[in-house]
Amino acid sequence: MQDLPEPGPPELALPNLAARRSRLLGDSSRRGIVLSSTSTVVVLAALVAIFALAPGSAVVRHTFLNPTDMWRSFLGNPRAGYYSVGEAIWLNIRMFLAAEALILILGLVVAVIRLSTGPVLVPLRILATVYVDVARGVPLVLFIFMIGFGAPALRLTVVSDQSAAVYGVAALVLSYSAYVSEVYRAGISAVHRSQVAAARSLGLSQWAALRHVILPQAIRNVIPPLLNDFISLQKDTALVGLLGAIEANKAAEIYGETVFNYSSYVVAAILFLVLTIPLARFTDHLIRRDQARRLAGAGQ
Amino acid sequence: MRQMSVAAMAAIAVLAASAGLAGCASEGSSSGASPTGTAAAGGTSSSAAASCSNSAIQGQLFAKGQLTVATDKPVYPPWFVDNKPTNGQGYESAVAYAAAAQLGFSKSQVTWAYEPFDSSYAPGTKKFDFDINEISYSAARAQVVTFSDSYYDVQQALVALKGSPIASKHGQADLKGYVYGDQVGTTSLTFINSQIQPARTPKVFETLNDVKQALQTKQIAALVTDTPTAEFITTEIPHSVVVAQFPSTGEHYGLLFAKGNPLVTCVNKALATLKSNGTLAKLTARYLKDFTSVPTIKP
Repeated sequence: MQDLPEPGPPELALPNLAARRSRLLGDSSRRGIVLSSTSTVVVLAALVAIFALAPGSAVVRHTFLNPTDMWRSFLGNPRAGYYSVGEAIWLNIRMFLAAEALILILGLVVAVIRLSTGPVLVPLRILATVYVDVARGVPLVLFIFMIGFGAPALRLTVVSDQSAAVYGVAALVLSYSAYVSEVYRAGISAVHRSQVAAARSLGLSQWAALRHVILPQAIRNVIPPLLNDFISLQKDTALVGLLGAIEANKAAEIYGETVFNYSSYVVAAILFLVLTIPLARFTDHLIRRDQARRLAGAGQ
Repeated sequence: MRQMSVAAMAAIAVLAASAGLAGCASEGSSSGASPTGTAAAGGTSSSAAASCSNSAIQGQLFAKGQLTVATDKPVYPPWFVDNKPTNGQGYESAVAYAAAAQLGFSKSQVTWAYEPFDSSYAPGTKKFDFDINEISYSAARAQVVTFSDSYYDVQQALVALKGSPIASKHGQADLKGYVYGDQVGTTSLTFINSQIQPARTPKVFETLNDVKQALQTKQIAALVTDTPTAEFITTEIPHSVVVAQFPSTGEHYGLLFAKGNPLVTCVNKALATLKSNGTLAKLTARYLKDFTSVPTIKP
């Protein structure tokens, strides 16, 4: 569902999007609209009724959706043993931004190495291939523990003195760069071979062709899947809490276990949604803009 | 927190009465009058046997004929030994079996269930009669679950590496300058923030093993935990020492029951008997040692 575009203002709707939208919403005639609205309302009302009328509904609402607990956990009160979830989300945001910048660079480097053809680069290619295989296969939690507890145990000067957030970002970069390099590689492979041939025939070197002809096209193609990975990355910053850093999810957990109520997790979830939904909408916007540009380009 | 226990006991007595347990309710009020007094409990133990007999409590059990006791995985000494709750070794395992015996259960009639701490307070029916997992009583928690009376009164202690700054400098002002670590969900964090009030945010880890790892790699200056656990940790981590323990804040460990579970009345009687006949003191001496050698300092 999330891949389908949101219904937007009609003037933005391009022919192919309009077709997809009508498939999503069904018959766009007046009768169709009435039927689709009615069935949506009935299904939603039934779900709400099941939740509200269940024997344990009041308990579940108190446990997960209690406004007092949600507000308290949002504000925090260290003296009472818990931290502000609202403040802790800033650590997630900072870790996410730092990790994202590094992942975009490292992922691209790995992808370019894997697609290189020079015989001198064989050891690097083997290394990059092994890295991608291993990093994608190993659970992120293990990376976080290995770096977060391993690096301090090495007792090196700079390496061993970092904060939990720094180790967490390192682990996120290590894991996500492997995924992102594959996204890049798919994007680069998808650019037609004739593009390289054309660039080379114009006298561009192989690297210049890659940089000025192939990559701009490849990256534009893979922006939506890249953003998909970054939405996932935003949530995975919560795993850095394993290293003792008090990020949003950890703050929620501390609150929950201090007063035995899970509403704080809902607060953390809402804050994560506030971060991810704009990113999802931004992805849709980029897809639409890209399609509009291509259609315009086709006419020239 | 001790001042809350009278209110909690009153609430328990009301709940027991409202559950229609006429037999236990009259007894409940008598034990409710002396929630923390052990002297009076001895006098009621004979009459307690009548209403809290094994057959009388069958209807309150999770599984008929069995006392289902829950705890987390893994479990640590000195509360459990060899990560096996079933062996009767370790303070909490021994207390569970002793309480079970008071209620007329043989050792084979005690079943152990696995209950992670963070799901022990989830809404819905519980898979156990009670959970024994070093869970501290607090008024906020007691609104969601029912606690038994104390089976261990807790003091918090500091564990650090020998020769580290905090091992020698732990005056009240010095204590504020260190980075502390503890396990998530423990009252140690509340203690750190409310009593020590350090300048730097403590680190909060998922498991005790993670906290120990952080101490060894010097990511934290000291870990804060209850004194028995602190003593045990020093046997595990080379060159570590219990720097000091803090005065009691009235904190105590209670058995965790589903909110309003009437069984708590009889379990409290069993605990009172174990206190008055010296069993708890004996088990404390056996498993939790004598901590008079650890200096007590002000937070």
